[in-house]
Amino acid sequence: MGKIKRGVSLYSYQQAQFFKELDLEGQIREVGTNLFGADGIELLDEQGIRKYPNPPEEFFEKWHQWMADYHTTPVTMDVFCDVLQFRDHVMSYHECAQRLKSDIRLAKKLGFKNVRTLATTPVEIMIEALPVAEECDIRLGKEIHAPIPLNGQFVNEIVDYVDRTGTKHLGIVPDWGIFAFRPSEVTLDWYVRQGAKRESCDLVTQLCMDNYEGRSSELNDIDLSLYSAGNVESFFHRYLKHGDAPADLIPAFEKMEKLIQENVPGYTDIDFEVMGQALLLSRTKPEDLKPLMPYIVSIHGKFYNMSEIPGKSGQYQDIAIDYEGPIKVLKECGYEGYINSEYEGQRRFQDRGVEDLISEVDQVRKHQEMLKRLLEA
Amino acid sequence: MFDNFLIRKDSLRNETDENGNVTGFMFAARNANYRGVYLSLHNGYYIKVDGVQYKRDVQTFEINGQKPRTFEEIKTAVWEHWDFDDEGIVHVKKPGGLTPGMHKIEFQQSVLAAYGYLPTDEEWVKNPPEPGTGAGSDKTKNIVTYELMLQE
Repeated sequence: MGKIKRGVSLYSYQQAQFFKELDLEGQIREVGTNLFGADGIELLDEQGIRKYPNPPEEFFEKWHQWMADYHTTPVTMDVFCDVLQFRDHVMSYHECAQRLKSDIRLAKKLGFKNVRTLATTPVEIMIEALPVAEECDIRLGKEIHAPIPLNGQFVNEIVDYVDRTGTKHLGIVPDWGIFAFRPSEVTLDWYVRQGAKRESCDLVTQLCMDNYEGRSSELNDIDLSLYSAGNVESFFHRYLKHGDAPADLIPAFEKMEKLIQENVPGYTDIDFEVMGQALLLSRTKPEDLKPLMPYIVSIHGKFYNMSEIPGKSGQYQDIAIDYEGPIKVLKECGYEGYINSEYEGQRRFQDRGVEDLISEVDQVRKHQEMLKRLLEA
Repeated sequence: MFDNFLIRKDSLRNETDENGNVTGFMFAARNANYRGVYLSLHNGYYIKVDGVQYKRDVQTFEINGQKPRTFEEIKTAVWEHWDFDDEGIVHVKKPGGLTPGMHKIEFQQSVLAAYGYLPTDEEWVKNPPEPGTGAGSDKTKNIVTYELMLQE
């Protein structure tokens, strides 16, 4: 039996919260009650905390009471930084660090052990806030999110800093999406409903699988290691609509365009976006985790869609993401932190009526079934 | 995201001033994101009703128990938070309001939230993007169309 612990990022319940089916207490109760021993809570401050950044004192009392009542424990708080907040100027690194420091103190007050910053947060900002993290005994982790790889600049600069200074309070939060090797079937189905051709979906899946299984290296020379997935998608959309994009992204965008133009008769703009899904993969190998073990603060168990494994009743998998490989590495290396389920497939069902929405609660339970099974294997 | 649910279906209605004149229409909207944001980032809407566009200069936004504010005022709400759970009311000035019955509303929200620094930051400080171009709408990239009944 390993010592890897299971938890849930409440990001997973964003839709249930939006429709007021589960409030914060309901989300915590679900984690503590129905997930076969999972106890970790990951909270997004701007999602879960009413009256952020200064919730009333009663909130803190309630929060700690919920943790006791449902036998859960605060693990990681996820924070944000919208740099246009002041609107009359772009926030300086110093201003971002001030915000981060205030979020660290908030996390401390809620009993969290870690704070996750966005993948695109410059390391200088984290370093400026580090003394507050050390004072609060909070580990500050930069999210490593697809298409960012584990062996690129964003990870290296953190590793270098930690090695140089010996700080115990800086590291990384890998997002399991870096082990995705193809677009999710629910993403592709969503695109088809928006008007994309099935041929484009097959083409992007083929390209990704050929690359994953070593039959092609078409994707390998594309380097998007300094961009977040959300930003790449936005840029590609704007590029298709208005033709402009950051110069270093243009060759990859052109390549995806060309593949559609040459292979999909009767294509329209949305087919390019389907092809663009190939740009969101990190192409990370499980072994890439090995040298990084001391720097891992916690892990996001990102998934897009759990489906039953054919022939295995009650057992589930995500067909787009490798879970077995990385879990084996984490066990071998003695990882003792949390893997927190982070469900992101719900938005792919929100283009129709309420009757077609998917149950996040059910998806997370299935993901936890898989995690428990693989961790205990 | 939440594409079909950003406008509450039963929220479209005309508005009347103290003299009984119909001054415009309103509907309830949610933040197209999985989290809340500082209100100042909220940059207005692309709104087209039955083919007629209503730009930011005739829009106001009501949130956090305050009276409706223009987007120039919203821009200064740099420490006020629009919580994820909360619905805001979009008010649109249109003397006479909308006719009774069904209306086709094309809709896109612009909130200048992002994952860290972007190459567009400096430009958007000087010239905030026009809602409807996709700028500031990264979670719901396309304009969404709603068929809504005007409520009595």
